[in-house]
Amino acid sequence: MSVCHGCEVRPELYYDAEFQIWARVEPDGAVSIGMTDLSQTRAGKIMHVRVRRPGSLRPRGKPVATVETGKWAGPVPNPFDCVIESANDAVLDDPLRINRDPYAEWIARVRPSAPLEQALAGLLTGAAAEAGFCERCRADRLECKRA
Amino acid sequence: MSQERYLDHEAKTVVIVMTSGPATRGRCATPFYLGALLASMDAQVTIFFTMDGVRLVQNGVAESLTAMEGGKTIIEFMRDAKAAGVKFHACRPALPGYDIEPVDLIAEVDEVSSGGVLADMILSCDKVLFF
Repeated sequence: MSVCHGCEVRPELYYDAEFQIWARVEPDGAVSIGMTDLSQTRAGKIMHVRVRRPGSLRPRGKPVATVETGKWAGPVPNPFDCVIESANDAVLDDPLRINRDPYAEWIARVRPSAPLEQALAGLLTGAAAEAGFCERCRADRLECKRA
Repeated sequence: MSQERYLDHEAKTVVIVMTSGPATRGRCATPFYLGALLASMDAQVTIFFTMDGVRLVQNGVAESLTAMEGGKTIIEFMRDAKAAGVKFHACRPALPGYDIEPVDLIAEVDEVSSGGVLADMILSCDKVLFF
């Protein structure tokens, strides 16, 4: 784990180029998707989260979930073609859990349509993710806050 | 109506006709919030700025405008909508009435369109909302 501008990044996870979402490979080959510290800070106090119904086929770029706060509404984008397997019921019941610990709280668990290696190929991880994340924090001049 | 836990909507097309502008600033944030939300729910959303609404897409106006005292600026709401995939059209016939040239428009505008384009959108989309 490292911290830039008060924003936490975990190099063992995978990230999209905008650092909106993180992805984690589970032991059974499914992928958990959640919001980054940057995303939860930008969104503010999360009031509602809704996930696409399990079994839905989601093309790359289409949201796997929507998030609503008092002043912001937006998607949790999908980084690769996938099928939704499940939603984190704890987050649907208490969305502020994302603001409290964004990397502990996955939102949707998905099954990539392509082989895992291929699905993750377009995402950033490790040192490249850390460097990109810090650059993003600097560019956005954002100090992360937790609930 | 209680909110469903899961999203299960078919893809829809929605046109938001934005007639409100700085003259009624309290009406200028929610349409973009709603547009962002609809786009996040797989809707293809277009916001068509006309009447006083075109002043929101004039350079420098939305940057200093808030719906409420001390609130988030309207340009931030507009950029949230754009980031979610909403398209912006500015009404060409409305611009001269407010002394706005197409070159004075913010970069977020995708197209400057005629009234006929709006009429086509209204007749062919699934939902139309007026603000």
